Amino acid sequence: MPMKGRFPIRRTLEYLQKGEIIFKNRVKIMTVNYNTHGELSDGARKFVFFNIPQIQYKNPWVQIMMFKNMTPSPFLKFYLDDGEQVLVDVEGKDYKQISQHVKKILGKSEEVLQAEAQAKMQASNPANFGPKKYCLRECICEVEGQVPCPGTTPLPKEMTGKYRAQMAASQD
Amino acid sequence: MSVKHASVHAKWIIGRVIGTKMQKTAKVRVTRLVLDPYLLKYYNNRKTYFAHDALQQCTVGDIVLLKALPEPKSKHVKHELAEIVYKVGRVVDPLTGKNVAGIDFMESLSDLPLKEETTLSEKLQELNISAASSEAESPPAETPSS
Repeated sequence: MPMKGRFPIRRTLEYLQKGEIIFKNRVKIMTVNYNTHGELSDGARKFVFFNIPQIQYKNPWVQIMMFKNMTPSPFLKFYLDDGEQVLVDVEGKDYKQISQHVKKILGKSEEVLQAEAQAKMQASNPANFGPKKYCLRECICEVEGQVPCPGTTPLPKEMTGKYRAQMAASQD
Repeated sequence: MSVKHASVHAKWIIGRVIGTKMQKTAKVRVTRLVLDPYLLKYYNNRKTYFAHDALQQCTVGDIVLLKALPEPKSKHVKHELAEIVYKVGRVVDPLTGKNVAGIDFMESLSDLPLKEETTLSEKLQELNISAASSEAESPPAETPSS
């Protein structure tokens, strides 16, 4: 049973997660003005159709608004945090060119993304054990190949604390 | 700074004015795209905000940029009008700076000098001559349509 719609692949999590444009923290609002008819707006229309879901998925806190048939020429407008506005003319461009351009001017670069990923990794170091909120695992008993939790299976007699204490006491 | 009242996330928002019946306050509807969890499609989710508009310059239907106030002005008003982005009926095309109505310009684009027309006809004559003499294909010269 195939998915419904024209390009239903746009509605898959995998497609959404493949979005390349992650905006810098300064970008707060993105506005797309385009026309529903006309060749010049074709790139903008495809951009809205294919790329906007990806952008919104990767930037959940950016407000994205679309305006149709308000002006003769299509354009994008970004509103940054300090009141600055960025106008991007999109007339006649291909949707791939538009997304590349937007990524170049207002997207986080590869190195910034990798640095952020590194910082996140350090916070969630797999070597640490602790509460689920802060670490991946709580106890070494969760790892395969290690001694299982004594709560589920009793430890062999030689490993129990009271046996060892007994042996230590009998030796002295 | 206590975070109790101040609008935390929405520092800048864009919306459409839906009501101006209150004095010095505009009712603004803001739409955000929200992902439907089952269909995995984005839909507009709307929310109304009240914005302080000291000069009462908004009319219903304007597209408006709001800025969060550092302190809420009253129980509901937490934003103020930063600028009117597109005034209803008087939209200005940001690329040319001219008034626009829908997809047409209200005024004609006459910033090109008229001398071009004469040179264009001369060019066409030249092309005719060259077409008559040699059967080379000559595509018409590209000119912006006025």
